[in-house]
Formats: sequence, C-alpha cells, structure tokens
Amino acid sequence: MKAPRILAATMLAASACLLAGCGGTKPPPGVVGDPQLGKLALTQYACQSCHKIPGVVGSDTFVGRPLEGLAKRPFIAGNLLNNQPNLMHWIRDPQAIDPTTAMPNVGVSEKDARNISAYLLTLD
Amino acid sequence: MPQAQTRLIVKTAVLTLLIAGGLSAAAGLVVWRAGWYNIGATSPHLGIVYKGLEQAMRYSVQHQARKVPVPALGQAEVVRGGAVYRDNCAQCHGGPGVAPDIHGLSMQPAPGPLVDAPMRWQSRELYWITRHGVKMSGMPAWEFHLSDADTWAVVAFINRMPAMTVRDYKTLTAMPPAQDQAQAHDQAQAQGEAR
Repeated sequence: MKAPRILAATMLAASACLLAGCGGTKPPPGVVGDPQLGKLALTQYACQSCHKIPGVVGSDTFVGRPLEGLAKRPFIAGNLLNNQPNLMHWIRDPQAIDPTTAMPNVGVSEKDARNISAYLLTLD
Repeated sequence: MPQAQTRLIVKTAVLTLLIAGGLSAAAGLVVWRAGWYNIGATSPHLGIVYKGLEQAMRYSVQHQARKVPVPALGQAEVVRGGAVYRDNCAQCHGGPGVAPDIHGLSMQPAPGPLVDAPMRWQSRELYWITRHGVKMSGMPAWEFHLSDADTWAVVAFINRMPAMTVRDYKTLTAMPPAQDQAQAHDQAQAQGEAR
C-alpha cells in the first residue's frame, strides 16, 4: 500500500508544480499586491469565464480578450495606459471608462482588484 | 524457439499491463479515499480533470440532443425569451455589460457568459441543456419549471445574443413598467417585514 501512496503523492506534487509554474511569479517593479492571492481572487469573480488567463484552469473562451502577455501591452481597454491604477479602475468599473463595453462591473473590492492586477501584471 | 520467444513476449506484455493497471487503480483508490482531491470551489480543478469533464459534457449533449426537432423561431420568441432570460438565467450567466449575481460568480465550474453560446452549440443542444440541466455543474433542469414555448423562446433569445449591444440587451430584458412597480412594491414590503 506504501508504494502507490508515494507514487500518488509524487504525481500530485508534480501536477501542482506544473499548475503553479504556468503563471509568472514576480510583477514588474512598482506593482503592489499579492499575485498569488490575486490568482485565487480572480476565479471568485469568474474572470476566467470570459478571459483565457495563463495559469488559471478554465474553458477556451474568447468572450473577453485573452490576458496572456498583459504586462507587455502598452494599452488596456483600447486607449488606457497600461499601469496598475488604470488596470484596477478598469477591473472595478469598466463601464465608467467605456459605457459600451460588454465587460460588466462584477463588484470587485479595491483589495481584490489590487491583488488581481498584481497577478495579471506578472503575465508577460 | 521462436514460439517460446513469442510466448515470453506475450507473457511479459500481459503481466506489465496487469501490474500497471493494478498500481494505477490502487493509486486512484488512495487519492479518492484519503480525500486528497480538494472538493472546495476556491481550489481550481486540475486542468486535465476540467478539460475531461467539459469534453464529456460536450459529447453527451451532442449525442442526447441529436434528434430534437427545432421549431421556427422568430422575433416574437426573441422578445418573449428576453423576459424568460431576465427572470431565470441572468442571475448566473449575466449578459452583455451585465454581471451575474454573486451566486453565479464564484461557482465551480463558473456558469459563464452565454453571448458566445450560439458559436458553441446548436439550437437543439441549447434547448436540451436548458430542459434537462447538467449534472454536477449547478445547471438546473427547467423541464418542470418552464413551458416548452418559454424554453424555445429563451433559445431564440440566446441565439440573438452575439449580435446584441449592451443597450440592446438592456432593452430586451427591461422590466415592463407595471411589473417594475409591483416588484419595487414587493421589495419595499419584504424589507418592511424584515425590519
């Protein structure tokens, strides 16, 4: 009974590493918040149901933009400079920035938006 | 000689398969019985589990819905479907520019948007999913709660969603004025009672 237990543990550990390794780990300098908490928080607002997000398990969806390489983009939401305050504003109240956007306000708290943006800004 | 060699190869192959199968089954049993797979909805599925379940659902719906006859659906159904969608679906699925209620946000799997549903599903499949629900996903069956006409109406509405702007969606799902007032009245009363 011991051998399969060790085998199973190794397999689990290996897949956990794979999962954790998918997203980046360090946001660019000047970005505040906890990326790992953000990675969890964004699943609790169903971000992954519209956006493909590296490191987050979900369906292949193209309702919103895939968020791969977000940290490298000069602009977000079409014409907003890509920095953490703007990203947090967009996440929290997209329709204040673009009233015609299909992205809804899902009620993200400031703290969660800080952590979520910190995670998204690790994606390069 | 060659006969003995063949026999050895077959024997080795069979034994290897049996041992590998036995070990995998034992490993699976341990993971299952020990409760190591986290059932909590704040912990994501393993990618392979998520994709496996999702694809199984796709195949099942395609198969189960293959013989559903589709009626003609027009503008009247779209309008009717808007009200059905507002009352029963938007809570979990949201709409263009409109978020789901909090219940729909942190479920796993996330119910997700339906604006892209017509790209993923045929009309007969949308009807089947609505009518029968999806086990273990949180999607309820509507067979005993929605009339057949309402079910097809909501399919007509969903089929129109990819072409809807935020404003189109809000217009089609707006409360009729009288009902709006009645609901506001109900809410005020409920709040009064709660106090």
